[in-house]
Amino acid sequence: MADPAYFSLRKMLLDEITPVVMVLPTPLVEQRCQKNGLSFVQMLTPFSVFNNIDVPVRTASDQPYRLQKFKLRMFYASDIRQPNIEVTKKRLEQVIADAGNNEDSELYLDPSSLEARSTSSEPEFVPTWFQHFNKELVRSVSFSDHEAFDHPVACLLVVSSNDEDPISKFMDLFNKNQLPPLLNDGAMDPKIPKYYVLVHDNQDGSPERATKILAEMRNTFGSNDCRLLCINSSQGQSVDHQPNPWDPYGSNASPGQHLGCLLNNEDMDELRNFVRDLSSKDIIPNMEQRIRVLNQQVSATRKGFRNQIKNLWWRKGKEDTPEVQSVNMYTFNSIESQIRVLGDYAFMLRDYELALSNYRLLSTDYKLDKAWKRYAGVQEMMGLTYFMLNQSKKDAEYCMENAFTTYLRIGTSGKGNATRCGLWWVEMLKTSSQYKDAAGVYFRISGEEPLHSAVMLEQASYCYLLAKPSMLRKYGFHLILSGDLYNKCDQIKHAIRAYRNALSVFKGTTWSHIHDHVHYQIGKWYAFLGRFDVAMKHMLEILACSHQSNAMQELFMRDFFQILEKTGKTYNISRLQLPIVNISSLSIVSEDHRTYGSPAAVSVKESVWQSLEEEMVPSLSNAKTTWLDLQSKLLPTKLKQSNVCVAGEALKVEISFRNPLQLSIPIYNVTLMCEYSENETPPDANSSSSVNQGVEDGKKATGRESNSDTSLFTLSKVDITLEGGETTVAQLSVIPRKEGLLRVTGVSWKLSDSMVGFYTFDPDLITKKLSKQKRKAKQNANKLEFLVIKSLPRLEGAINNLPSTVYAGNLHRLSLELRNSSEIPVKNLKMKISHPRFLNIGNPEVLDVNFPSCLEKKQSYAHKDADLDVTKQSETVFHFPKDVVINNGTPFLLPLWFRAATPGNVSLYLTIYYEIEDKSTTMRYRTLRTNHMLEVLPSLDVSFFINPSSSRLQEYVVRMDIINRTSLRNFKLHQLSSVGNEWKISLIESLNHIFPSGILVPGQALTCFLKLKNVKTSETDTETDVWLGDVSNEAVFDTQRAPLVNFHHYERLHQKTAHQENQSTVDFMLISRMEESENVPSDVPTPPQIFSHHACHCSVSTKRPIWWLLDGPRVNHYSFSNSFCETKLKMTIHNSSSFVASVRINTFDSPPGGSPSGNKIGWHDMSTPPSLDDATGGRKLLESVPPFIWSGSSTTRVKLEPNATTEISLLVTTFAPGTYDLSNYTLNWNLLDSSDSEEKEGVCYGRPFYLTILGEE
Amino acid sequence: MIVCIAVVGHQNNPLYIQSFTEADDALKLHHIVHCSLDVVDERVNNPKKSGPMLNETFLGLLYPTENYKVYGYLTNTKVKFILVTTDLDVRDADVRNFFRRFHSAYLDAVSNPFHVPGKKITSKTFAERVTNIVKSVSFHTTG
Repeated sequence: MADPAYFSLRKMLLDEITPVVMVLPTPLVEQRCQKNGLSFVQMLTPFSVFNNIDVPVRTASDQPYRLQKFKLRMFYASDIRQPNIEVTKKRLEQVIADAGNNEDSELYLDPSSLEARSTSSEPEFVPTWFQHFNKELVRSVSFSDHEAFDHPVACLLVVSSNDEDPISKFMDLFNKNQLPPLLNDGAMDPKIPKYYVLVHDNQDGSPERATKILAEMRNTFGSNDCRLLCINSSQGQSVDHQPNPWDPYGSNASPGQHLGCLLNNEDMDELRNFVRDLSSKDIIPNMEQRIRVLNQQVSATRKGFRNQIKNLWWRKGKEDTPEVQSVNMYTFNSIESQIRVLGDYAFMLRDYELALSNYRLLSTDYKLDKAWKRYAGVQEMMGLTYFMLNQSKKDAEYCMENAFTTYLRIGTSGKGNATRCGLWWVEMLKTSSQYKDAAGVYFRISGEEPLHSAVMLEQASYCYLLAKPSMLRKYGFHLILSGDLYNKCDQIKHAIRAYRNALSVFKGTTWSHIHDHVHYQIGKWYAFLGRFDVAMKHMLEILACSHQSNAMQELFMRDFFQILEKTGKTYNISRLQLPIVNISSLSIVSEDHRTYGSPAAVSVKESVWQSLEEEMVPSLSNAKTTWLDLQSKLLPTKLKQSNVCVAGEALKVEISFRNPLQLSIPIYNVTLMCEYSENETPPDANSSSSVNQGVEDGKKATGRESNSDTSLFTLSKVDITLEGGETTVAQLSVIPRKEGLLRVTGVSWKLSDSMVGFYTFDPDLITKKLSKQKRKAKQNANKLEFLVIKSLPRLEGAINNLPSTVYAGNLHRLSLELRNSSEIPVKNLKMKISHPRFLNIGNPEVLDVNFPSCLEKKQSYAHKDADLDVTKQSETVFHFPKDVVINNGTPFLLPLWFRAATPGNVSLYLTIYYEIEDKSTTMRYRTLRTNHMLEVLPSLDVSFFINPSSSRLQEYVVRMDIINRTSLRNFKLHQLSSVGNEWKISLIESLNHIFPSGILVPGQALTCFLKLKNVKTSETDTETDVWLGDVSNEAVFDTQRAPLVNFHHYERLHQKTAHQENQSTVDFMLISRMEESENVPSDVPTPPQIFSHHACHCSVSTKRPIWWLLDGPRVNHYSFSNSFCETKLKMTIHNSSSFVASVRINTFDSPPGGSPSGNKIGWHDMSTPPSLDDATGGRKLLESVPPFIWSGSSTTRVKLEPNATTEISLLVTTFAPGTYDLSNYTLNWNLLDSSDSEEKEGVCYGRPFYLTILGEE
Repeated sequence: MIVCIAVVGHQNNPLYIQSFTEADDALKLHHIVHCSLDVVDERVNNPKKSGPMLNETFLGLLYPTENYKVYGYLTNTKVKFILVTTDLDVRDADVRNFFRRFHSAYLDAVSNPFHVPGKKITSKTFAERVTNIVKSVSFHTTG
């Protein structure tokens, strides 16, 4: 078998299971040897291993073979006993601790990657001290009485030539009292071969005395068994052995001493020859001899049919004996012990066949005897023998398992043996690459003792790794288990090693609980060892532990900060996990020629602003040829692409931070990281003069030292406290101070004083993001790079007193305040307002007058004013007076009228264009963009219904419905006006008795009727206003004056609908005022809240396209004596539709209603007054009856053009005095060309018209 | 008693782990589940019986630990269900039945259009349903 692993166990067994030689030296011998720093046994050890001893041996059946490799194990008699458990334990601990300390150096290196490990076939990454440890474990159970291979096969009695009376010393040495218990308690034959060695120290003098003693010895003990060993021949000078054969063995020598310094090469040769002779000439033949003898005995007693029967019977007979047997049941004389010795000797001399047959024989015996420990021992040896024979693998494993379980079954006494057996078993499994099974065995070896288990588990884990396919998770798991156990035994370094190895399994997986735990433990252990820097590395991994419970997060954080504190270093961590930077939220606002009045204005879409500014700003292409062209002369063309910002003006950056934890974490000094380069080439294009304050310096990146005004830029600092799970937007800014190139590189923050996190913005990422936002013209530019240009004036603008919540219709006088903080004046201002319905520009003198009394009607300049305003409103851009120049320190005030036009949320956009007087600047103009959000609440709902009056042409009845939609506020009606001069309105009845209070409480509705009359003339003093309030002397407001007329203009524009163009319409304006609420205490006397509600384009037309009026005398005096009475009537017909109409007038002679009552003739009571309300067109039945007839044609047909009016004469003939209802006619109309089927034709029934005929006397 | 139920994605990433014990043993259960994936892999890669096992989703007892038994189930999309129970005397049929019910609950959860495949299952409905299944199942076969 070429497999090196096969040899590893083989070698191990050949090392461990070899003949033992007991050594009994006198103190003087030891003393002489100690001159070399060696004990006697140590001195011999290097020479007791033979690779090529070449001794011929014969098996029991006389098969000759030659033994090549051989080894003797030499022990002092005092060491041949079962090792003390406590001592062993301590020694094992020492081994582990030493190993831990030795690994110190590599403990802090990064662990090699898992891939590299699993691919390397050689298990070199497995710590080497495992073998040492395992060996120690195996040795801890040596010299047991149940197995014979540890029993000494020979005894060396060593006496120095300087000893007094050496012969008697030899006699004394083999004294019963000093012999190991194995020999004394009968476990082995005390009659072992003895060899007598005389050690002569050449420094003590010439070897004559020694030879004399030797001769004496030969006489006494027999010539074959006596030897002379001369040492320390080196005269004075020390001999340096290279390589020193004792190095691996001399353990307890003081470090300065040279091992074997007095032994020259002759001595070494002598030592070598001595041991060689001893083994080849004495020990091996002796063992061979012993095997023959024992084999014969065993054959005689146990082999053959007869013996087997006898044996069986004999053992059966013993069945009744108690299970617990005395220790000395199997003395050396017993046949069982002899078989065992035979087997072990055969094993040691590599006669495995013989060994196996004997072990087999023995195992059944022991099993029957229930001598479990011995049984297990034999099974173990059987397994090993099978292995050495390289025959049945299965049998070998079966035996090992059997032995292992048996050892375990017998309890504590078998534990050590079980471990040894297990280790051998593991090696056996490893040999056949059954790593998974091996790991299982390791797992079974790990007992209760934590340290022991830890080592075994770790070894098991390596087996899982080596298994094909490797079981990485089990590897990790067992490492974790072992690490925990190491930790329990205070073997921190080993624990760290285990965990670190395990880390490679969990790295990159999403098993975050485990991942966190591993990092946390490693971090804590490193901290415990005082390696805070390494500890921090691991603690950083657990910062983003959002999946952990609250308590765990607290624990993690506490330990993190503790360790951080102890580290005493400042950390700059890129992409620190706490808090999480949401890079997609990054937004950078730089102001070039566009400046913004508020952050809200920034977030408004660029297109909104552009459409607003379209008319004011020199057109885009134009703009480029002006200031950008100028720039291109000054700057490299490359930079035309980059963003521009102005020195001294803040570059605002918003970025959001998310706290992944459930705890609140404060972060300090959130600030931007910027780089500044003075020359105008980009920083990556070399240049020595570029000043980088960025991360590249390795220093703190955030210009902390650059706060003074002379520095290149100023950074803002923000402190934020992030609640658990919260996302907070940090608003940061950097103010460049000098012209040059500024680049925003990232953001940094302090988690604590010594933990600084930073996040470097990746330009590629952000370019994509921002390109759709603001910088339309420069899509390819690096969004993080800004060209800083010379400082420019910048207007600040604000609307004073703009309320955030108003009721609809509320009228306010506001003022726009513009300030210029720069020395350079600005001029040529223009302004545009997005919603002129809401905001209107007033005349400058308005600022001084008293509001709202300025609205009151005065006779003097009303019309002139109105004209002026209307023309002004036709232009959408407001030009400031030419002489307006805003200088430093003097704010400019512009009055504004504000009226909340419609309920809802409204954004008002204002942009102000201004030019810079200084021609040398790169920018000629700038714009200020402000935006204001308003919430407008509903106040009054006003609606008008207009019906033509049935009694008069050109007169209308208007129903006005007002509802107070507010929930709290009272309204006091003020006036209703019709706008313009065309319409005259008046109340039909006084409001005083239907609406005495004059106050409209919340939810109240009011309906009142008004009369509306069209006045074609353009009289100046048409009564267009109706006072609606209670008795009051307050003046009526003039609707013809600014701002009311202006607002009305926009309301008209807004409410305009397409199909009403041709129709005559009327516009109403209701003015009211809000009652001061008693509930709301007001500190300042607020001006009266004036409201205006506009209803425009109220059509006076009805649904019917045909509109008619019957007119004529109402009372006619007539003498019936002559003839009947004829009354001429006139019908005016108007076509208000947009189509040509054909109208047919039918008159009937039957009375209206067709149900004549009893009164046929004469007077009758007109108790019911004719109703004015005929909106339904219903025919009021009045009990008047003919006799009257329509004279003239009964049907008249006329054709009417759109909007045309015609008059038709009608004649009615009455026969008696009385009152007649002339409503018995119909108008059938038919619209030609109309496509609307519903509106195409219809019938109108006559309206009551009462004609009274009085008889004349 | 069922101690823990876990859903593990086809890249062996945990999608859902729920323990049903009072104790704070999340870490331990995570380890057990994680470790059992090795056995799942082993089962899948070396099917001992190729014939009837071909379409079998139930993987059977993965491994017994000292206190637990771990069962596995593999869907066709290579999503693994791991069950950890303290009942040491369990019939396979019961576990099979449990997994079948759990599988349908899982299917419903991932059919939610708002569920991102390969991401953790955060559905509360799923959690409730699993809890109900776990409560309703008892592996005590002695009675």
